[in-house]
Order: sequence, then C-alpha cells, then structure tokens
Amino acid sequence: MNDPVLEITDLYVSVENKEIIKGMNLSVGKGEIHVIFGPNGSGKSTLLNTILKLPGYSIDKGEIKIKSKNIQEMTTDQIANMGIGMSFQHPPKIKGVTLQNFLHTINRSEDLNDEIQALSMENFLKRELNVGFSGGELKRAEVLKLYAQSPDLLLIDEPESGVDIENIAVISKAINKILQINMPNKQRERSAIIITHTGHILNYIDADIGHVFMDGKIVCTGHPKSIMEDIKKLGFTGCVECMKREKDVT
Amino acid sequence: MKHFDDTTKATLEKVAFDEKEERSASFLARDWDILDAHSATEGLEILPIETALKKYEWLKELLFTLVEKDKDSYVKQVASSDVLLGYFIRIKAGVKITLPVYTCYMINTDKFTQCTHNIVISEEDSELHLINGCTANAHVVSGQHLGVTEYFIKDGATLTSTMIHSWGKEVEVYPRSVAHVGKNAKFISNYVAMCSVKNLQMNPLAVIEESGLGEFYSVIYAPEDSKFDIGSTVILKGDGASSEIVSRVVSQGGEVITRGKIIGEHPNGRGAMACNGLLLSEKGYIHAIPELLGKDPHLELSHEASVGMISKDELAYLMASGIEEDKAKSLIIEGFLDLKIPSLPEDLQRQIDALIKETKDFETM
Repeated sequence: MNDPVLEITDLYVSVENKEIIKGMNLSVGKGEIHVIFGPNGSGKSTLLNTILKLPGYSIDKGEIKIKSKNIQEMTTDQIANMGIGMSFQHPPKIKGVTLQNFLHTINRSEDLNDEIQALSMENFLKRELNVGFSGGELKRAEVLKLYAQSPDLLLIDEPESGVDIENIAVISKAINKILQINMPNKQRERSAIIITHTGHILNYIDADIGHVFMDGKIVCTGHPKSIMEDIKKLGFTGCVECMKREKDVT
Repeated sequence: MKHFDDTTKATLEKVAFDEKEERSASFLARDWDILDAHSATEGLEILPIETALKKYEWLKELLFTLVEKDKDSYVKQVASSDVLLGYFIRIKAGVKITLPVYTCYMINTDKFTQCTHNIVISEEDSELHLINGCTANAHVVSGQHLGVTEYFIKDGATLTSTMIHSWGKEVEVYPRSVAHVGKNAKFISNYVAMCSVKNLQMNPLAVIEESGLGEFYSVIYAPEDSKFDIGSTVILKGDGASSEIVSRVVSQGGEVITRGKIIGEHPNGRGAMACNGLLLSEKGYIHAIPELLGKDPHLELSHEASVGMISKDELAYLMASGIEEDKAKSLIIEGFLDLKIPSLPEDLQRQIDALIKETKDFETM
C-alpha cells in the first residue's frame, strides 16, 4: 500500500493559548476524499490551517506528516509546494495584486484558460484579488486557484458557505475535475479533505470517508452519506448521545 | 544622448529620460548647462527660460506670480540665483498632443546646488503631457536641487505632469510648485520617487477654478536613511471644483511625512484624499497628515488614511499558494505601489506603469 498523503498522529493544537484540537488522528490516502462534519466553532478550520502552518496555530503535541515528511520545520510555502492546496473559507482581499498576476505566479496546470472559462472568471482577471468579489465569486476564485496549483491534497474549507445553488454546482464541477472524479478510484492521484457543517456539498461531490469532528477530535468515522443522514435526523446533539452510549458500552 | 557614457545614460533612463522614447518635445540640463531644448511638434514651444524671457516681454510679469518670491529660503535662493536655469513650455490654444514632452534635470558635479525656474502655459482647450525626470549622476555624493515651477492652465485645458525623482543618499531636494487650474481645466500631477535622498521636502499647491479638476498621485519608496516630507494642497476656489489626492508610501526604514490638504471655499466642490502607508522595517516611520477645511456647507470632502505593516493574513494566503515569503512580500508591495490614475490616457498609464516598474529599487529589501 502507498504511504498516505497526509498522516496526523495524536495532534494537539492551540490558538492564542486555547486548546482547540485535543488528540486527533487522521490518515488520508492517495485518491481518497474525506469529508469532515462538525458544528460551527468546533475547530474544523483550525485543522486545515494547522496543516498549512498558518500563523497563530501552535502544534503543542503530536505530528503531521505529508508524504511521510514531518512538517515541523517547514514553512507554509514549502508545505504548499509539497502538493497541498487550500480553498479558504474567508480569503483576504489583496489590493493591487490582480487575479491574473496571482494565477500566473502560481500556475502549474496546462489548461488554466479552459477552467477560467468554465468558472466564468474571464472578467475578473484584471480585478484586484478578492476585492469586491461576491460570496460565489470568492469561492470560484478559490477553486480556480486550486486548479492552477494542481495540488495532490486539496483542503477545502466550507465550500458551500455564502454561495447560491447555481454557484455550488459550478464550484463542485471544478473540484470534481481537479479530483479526477471520472477516473476509477484507484487511478486517482489527488485527495481531498472537505470541511462542511451543512453537508450540502455531498449532493455534488462523492466523498469516500466521513468524519464527525467534535470537542477537538474525530469522534466518529463512517460512510459520509450515512453520517449526513444521522446528523440531519438528530443533529450534532445526536452525535453526542451516540458518543455517550459508545462510552457506556466500553 | 550618444555623447553620454553608459553610467550617465543609465542615470537618465532611471528617471525616464531615454533617447529611444518618442516625444513631442525635449529638454535636458546638466548642472547649469542646457544640453537640449527642442520641440518637434507644431503648436508646442519649449525654450530655455532665459531665451523665452528675451523673446517675450510679457513673460517677466508672470514669474513668481503663483509661487511667492519670498515663500521660503529655497525660493529666495532661486529668485536671487546668478544663473537663470529653467524651461518655458507653452502649448497653443486648442492643440492636443498625446505624445509626451520629456524634461530632465541632472546634477553632475558633487556638492552642486542646482536652482531652476520653470514656466508651463497650457492655453485654452489644449492637452499636454509632461514627463519630468530629476536625478543626480552616479558619482555625485551630495548636492541640492531647488526648483520652482509655475503652471498656468487656462480654461478647458488638460495638463498632466509626471515627475520621477532618483537622487543620491546625501542630496537635498526642495521643489516648489503652484498650478492655477482654470474653468473646466484639468491638472493631473503624478509623483514617483523610489530612491535614497537625504531630505526631500515639497508641498505643491493647486488652485482650482469653477468645474476644474486637480488630481495628485504620489508613489514613494523610502529606503533607510532617507527623509521625505511630501504633500499636496488643493484650494477648491470655484463652484463645482473637484480634487483627488492619493498617496502610497512604502518605508523600508525611511522617515516619511505624507501630507494632504483640501480647502473648499465654494459650493458644490468635491475633494477626496487617501494616504496609505506600508512599513517594512522597525526603523523609520510614516506620518500621514490628511487635512480637510470646508468653508461652505455645500461641499463634499473626505479622506482616508492608513499606516501599517504587510498584512499577515495576506502574506500567509500567498504563501499557502506556494509563493515563497520574499516573493509574496514583493507581490504585495508592488501591488500597493501600483496606482491606477482614472483620468489618465491609457497609453500614458501604461508608460507610467512601465516607468514605475523600472524605477523600483528594492535593493535594501
């Protein structure tokens, strides 16, 4: 079996001295699409930000390995260049840097122009990055960025938040294309972790493995759609009850 | 410029005085010597000020009508200078020329004090674009440049003036200029300085008549040990006069005071100001001083100012896309300095963008 693209072991992370991730384990194999459910504020985004070592996220214990290499001594750009790309939930506005210039700087794909058209971003190329973009436009720009980066592991933070149905379909189509969804599972080169609290994205993207993230760790793993159905019926409080029952049994 | 050595050529090119560029007219002075003053365009006159004063009796009456002779010690020094160095530029009424006029002053002798007095007259409904370079040659360690410029922009005329400065670490520079902008006339002043300088202090003034427009854009990059005190003052004198002052300052250890003042005196005047500063170093400072003075209730005056370091979020975002830290910083700084001037012809904006790109000197970063 190939080494996992991402391996997280017994991870503890704090933000401003507050412990957010409390002993988390996760392994993402090549071609796998993981979806992480969890209530707002549970620390799902913290996980993605920590993988990229964004400022403010401190690893207190445990380790993160990308393609078997510990990221401890790496900088954010080095991690990105290991093949990690992230679609931010709230990307910053960068005045003076045009979308075109940004894409030109990071582009590794051969058919970016086709994707610019597919995501209807032609008229945004001369615009300053994320400045004055609507919710849907921000997400389309983020996915276009991932397309340009062509990463091996996509970290996608709340792709459906602040986006109308039409845009979700367009964004999901582009994500599926990056993830080579038309190919048989075993031939896929790219993996993903998708963070969601509504689960709506599962109507468009066929994930392989689902996790429930609560209280700083993964509390449940299973088939994404089954987990989604349970959350729909019982909410995340249902997960809490389920955790209690399992604890009682053990 | 074939008679110049390569170093001098490079010095001149750094302030956009490049012989290869097509131009409507040209003026070049080295220390006290005028090496070139010619116009290649009908309706456009360019003369050494001394020659122009002999040719036109009336010109004497114009000198020091906008800039007061005793404004400060530097203007007094220009007024009392034994040598009269400067250019006279006049574009005739109704003539519109998009090809720029290139002018350049160069200090070529160490410890030299260069005093200049320029007169620019844009007659009614004309259009003219000036690109003015001021520099010290590479071997010059110290010196002074004291410049007085008076712009007479008649009704309906458009004048853009782009000034590019590139000095040395021990050079002091004190330009003094005033523009009188007639009814429905436009004056657009762009200023670019990305260099070391011991002390550069200027605060050009524009007086705008009815429905006239005055815009000031400045882009400053201040390396360590440089001192800039730059600003613009606009008086909205006529009804419906408007103005915009935009400055972008990057300090890499340099000390910068950036001023802006809009004075509204008549109804329906509009003025907006934005002074933004980016600090790249623990050394140095940026002191933004935007001022608004309204003397009529029917005015719209506003300003915004910001001074800070490169946003950590922006930097992290670019790095998370695989861009290494130094490159990410450069992208942000270049973007910050990339000023778009709405009322400028597209060709000229492209040219200015290229100039700024070439002039950028981030050696200390």
